[in-house]
Amino acid sequence: MLLPLLLRPPLCHAQASGLFTGCVRMLHCGAPQGLRFQAEKFLQRRRPHRLHARGRSRRSQNQEEEWRSRNKTVLTYIAAAGVGMIGLAYAAVPLYRLYCQATGLGGTAVAGHDTEQVATMTPVKERVIKVTFNADTHASMQWNFRPQQTEIFVVPGETALAFYRAKNPTDKPIIGISTYNVVPFDAGQYFNKIQCFCFEEQRLNPHEEVDMPVFFYIDPEFDSDPRMARVDTITLSYTFFEAKEGQKLPLPGYSYN
Amino acid sequence: MSTAMNFGSKSFKPRPPDKGAFPLDHFGECKAFKEKFMKCLRESNYDNSKCRLQSKDYLECRMDHQLMAKEPLEKLGFKDLMDPPPSQADKDSKP
Repeated sequence: MLLPLLLRPPLCHAQASGLFTGCVRMLHCGAPQGLRFQAEKFLQRRRPHRLHARGRSRRSQNQEEEWRSRNKTVLTYIAAAGVGMIGLAYAAVPLYRLYCQATGLGGTAVAGHDTEQVATMTPVKERVIKVTFNADTHASMQWNFRPQQTEIFVVPGETALAFYRAKNPTDKPIIGISTYNVVPFDAGQYFNKIQCFCFEEQRLNPHEEVDMPVFFYIDPEFDSDPRMARVDTITLSYTFFEAKEGQKLPLPGYSYN
Repeated sequence: MSTAMNFGSKSFKPRPPDKGAFPLDHFGECKAFKEKFMKCLRESNYDNSKCRLQSKDYLECRMDHQLMAKEPLEKLGFKDLMDPPPSQADKDSKP
């Protein structure tokens, strides 16, 4: 690589464009110059000149080495910083998720409620909450879907049962799949469903009518949360969509479990 | 639904149910229990605490007819409604 540079020394004196290329050229040009000086040193055999030449070549060699080592350390630092930035970018995803779960920012669900607590929880009888029910269907969904009770009074820590009814008035079987929503959003994290009919395909034959139960409870910690102190009504809203044959829908919240 | 895209806005994230989905009761096997439960609710002004026995009966019907995975009733929150164990009942019946 040094050969073309050796053969074209005049290029060293050419105006370099850009600081970096100039620096590189200086580095590369420094080498043949140093070599040339060494060659001269051996050919001329003039002591004072030789000493002088050696001193000069050594100084320039030292300078070159200094520059080289300094450049190497700077480059190493820059490379380390770059790798560090990329690593931070990857680490930021789980770290941010942990931060959100710890502070509850952005309405993220509190890290997984304990499913065993159903057996051990005690109802908080003083706090009565009204749960209202809402039922919707997508515009192209032809089922008749409605709740069988408009509201129900529950207390936190007590399991409750509620019913919806769905009827398929058409002459062909329709497969539906539903999702739900809870308002207020903050209360949604305390609303735990033990079993329901959502997120799985439900098939109704022509002119068939079924009862769809929802078995749920409100976490007893609802009563001790200061943000929930003024919440008296929770609305549970289900929406049914029509599912195509063989369609696989991703289960929501799967990645958070 | 949660369509607001701004950072820091509260959004709702639906969670799957703990024990999965109820299979549909196509043949209406537990309809009678459901009717009893709904009647109880209407009479008690939609107070759930008063109708827990009927909801327990409905869920037991579902379990008997393979419409729900069999679970001990404590796991469904009916610890206070369960019958006492047979040994205690024997003791009570033999004063």
